[in-house]
Amino acid sequence: MTDTALHPGAETAAAREAGSNLPVLAVDLVADPSLLSRLAELGRGLEEAGVGAVTISDGGLHPIHVASFLAPLTRTLGLLPRTDAIYVEPFHLATQLMSLDHLSHGRAGWLLTAETDPAAPAAVGREVLGLEATAREAADVLEAARLVWDSWAPDAVVKDTSRGVYVDAARLQYTDVEASTFSLRGPSITPRSPQGLLPVLVADTDRPAVGERVATELADGRVLDVDVSAGAHPDQIAETLEGADARLVRLVGLDLEADPLGTVTALVAALRERELIASAADEGQSLREQLGLAIAEHAPDPERRTDRARRTDLTDQTREESA
Amino acid sequence: MTTTQSPSLATGPAEHPIHPEHTPTGQLAFGAFFQGVNSSTIWRLPESGDQVAWESFEALVRTAERGRFAAFFLGEGLRLREHREVPFELDVAGRPDAQTLLAALAGVTERIGLVATQNTTYNDPVDLARRLQTLDLLSGGRAGWNIVTTDNAWTGENFRRGGYLDHEDRYVHAEAFVEVAEQYWRGEQITHDGAHYSVRAQGDLPRSAQGRPVLFQAGASPAGQDFAARTSDVIFSPHGTLEAAVEFRRSIVERTVAAGRDAGSVKILPGAEIILAPTEAEAEEKVRWVRDLQIGPEQAIALLEQYWGRDLSAFDPDGPLPDVAPEVVESGVTRGAGFQFAKAEELTRAWREEAAEKGQSILEFARARSGARRGTFTGSYDQVAERLVEFARLGAIDGLNITPWLIPSGLDDIVDELIPRLQERGVYPTEYAGATLRENLGLPPG
Ligand SMILES: Cc1cc2nc3c(=O)[nH]c(=O)nc-3n(C[C@H](O)[C@H](O)[C@H](O)COP(=O)(O)O)c2cc1C
Repeated sequence: MTDTALHPGAETAAAREAGSNLPVLAVDLVADPSLLSRLAELGRGLEEAGVGAVTISDGGLHPIHVASFLAPLTRTLGLLPRTDAIYVEPFHLATQLMSLDHLSHGRAGWLLTAETDPAAPAAVGREVLGLEATAREAADVLEAARLVWDSWAPDAVVKDTSRGVYVDAARLQYTDVEASTFSLRGPSITPRSPQGLLPVLVADTDRPAVGERVATELADGRVLDVDVSAGAHPDQIAETLEGADARLVRLVGLDLEADPLGTVTALVAALRERELIASAADEGQSLREQLGLAIAEHAPDPERRTDRARRTDLTDQTREESA
Repeated sequence: MTTTQSPSLATGPAEHPIHPEHTPTGQLAFGAFFQGVNSSTIWRLPESGDQVAWESFEALVRTAERGRFAAFFLGEGLRLREHREVPFELDVAGRPDAQTLLAALAGVTERIGLVATQNTTYNDPVDLARRLQTLDLLSGGRAGWNIVTTDNAWTGENFRRGGYLDHEDRYVHAEAFVEVAEQYWRGEQITHDGAHYSVRAQGDLPRSAQGRPVLFQAGASPAGQDFAARTSDVIFSPHGTLEAAVEFRRSIVERTVAAGRDAGSVKILPGAEIILAPTEAEAEEKVRWVRDLQIGPEQAIALLEQYWGRDLSAFDPDGPLPDVAPEVVESGVTRGAGFQFAKAEELTRAWREEAAEKGQSILEFARARSGARRGTFTGSYDQVAERLVEFARLGAIDGLNITPWLIPSGLDDIVDELIPRLQERGVYPTEYAGATLRENLGLPPG
């Protein structure tokens, strides 16, 4: 297994050196039930306003589902649910996120957060974790998720009619994670998604909870939070953006009742004019591309191949027949 | 093909052939079941679509909605099936997470119900309840949950608690799980201390247009039937013949009444495969063609290997069943949802005798068995319509949960040819009854 595939932070640095990578502008939608009737309209409107992505924060509705709901209603918008890594099943979380990537045609990302509200462990019957343990588990879950995402080669579905083989087990690999708080066998139940590895970003607000290792070493980049609850002033925001080493700029606290689209349209125009944010994505562009991240190559690992237990006599026989 | 009622069915009073308290509605509702992992979906044809592509799901759900299907179902399996310790290579495998996909379909559909198969053993009840309620709210009251209870250490290897549950306890656990979910949906304070974990939470979402997601149960064991009778709105039965369906209805009605609910509270939708053609002769030809494509020589050998527990690749698929003994007494059935364990020695001997008697080769035997296992409705458009009218008239079923044998065009002839004939005969709706899944299944408010 190559290092770059599982530690895309290294690629981030390389891509950044290439220059040209202005941060993508995102709006944070708090997935509150009161938003339900306007959700579709808001998603489409933000895309038309030239916003590059939305992040979906937890306001009661499940952020991954809200992102999915928006996927077929939009065409270029990046969709990043802000979702807890700790008090969930890592296997479900990983396959839900890669499913979002499938149905959005490669526009999914994960704004990784670590829950510190004691209500979260109580709801799943776990003890409250301290900050250090939380950070360790966040790192373990992120690494496990990437192994799940990488467990099918892009060409694992072979549909070989001559041998009657639909999926080639030699192109699947186990995850085989033994972390301190969970283990996971794999491979994924979902084939590899368009981006392979989803972009994983960490918002400034979440750094203390997710820990420095996740925020600086493992994640694909930083998310700069800009609080616009007191109004969005282009000059002020431009100042914050100058020299900020961020992949994504997230507008939080936008008043969704009071003409959010007008505010955002004006802001996008002002920041683009000053060349402070990336241009809008083209249709068909993946979120990784929009964020200036390198393509995630599949990293095959002979040790994890799911057919390693296949008896050699059978393998040889199959090979001869198909030759 | 005969559509006449066998006299043995009418054991009750003439107007109540099934149960004195059960009144047939005479109506059918259809569900479309995109299983995702199975041997019935043909992948060898050029027109076989991608099994994970959004376009496949969208095309299928649009056809189903055009045909006024009550629901669109997605299956679930939480570990890739394995055969002789290697992921099973011969069948369609790999699918998106059911609910994540349905949340997207909610945005592009208007009336069709969206039902996710979700396991009670490897989910956390509050997390699952919240996801289902989110789906229910996003879809305006069209969510359903097909409750399954798969439990084994092998699947458990993908989850924090591992294989923590004894098989006998799966429905005990499932009932407690559903109770927690219902408390969450009612917006209550949850205090649950079970044998395996404790939960403290507060339901914090508004109720949907249908109150709560519709509960489906897929399980035919007596424990499964009792669970459905006590807790569910709909049960998927595996029965395709009229006799078996009537027997199953009787069993469910008895259990439902014993549980203190109205006789008709649990709707029955058997899983079904439908193979149609303009004439009976063409339909017979088509069935053979479909089976050939579903079960190739490799699948036939693999089917036997599951029960023989040994490598049978040296046997000729066109020859008789292997005359060797199985290697294990308890068979190593390919692991995954829907497979049952059986005593290998008894079973393989019986199969060998059956195939010899019928003069079947390995391949012919496997194809026949696979057809028999699925509830299959085959024939001309009119024949199948007439047969379904008989099912509806007797009240044996409330509809069918149809697995298309081709993705994404497998519902086309059902919607274009069969459904109009059912509508003409007055047993299938011409319009959706309402905006929620509950209304479209004829269920009382939740
Ligand atoms: C129509 C139908 C669909 C089913 N779909 C699934 C599925 O998608 N995933 C799953 O784990 N089990 C599925 N099952 C299996 C059942 O959950 C159950 O395990 C099986 O019917 C045995 O029932 P029992 O546990 O009551 O004996 C399905 C069963 C039926 C009849």
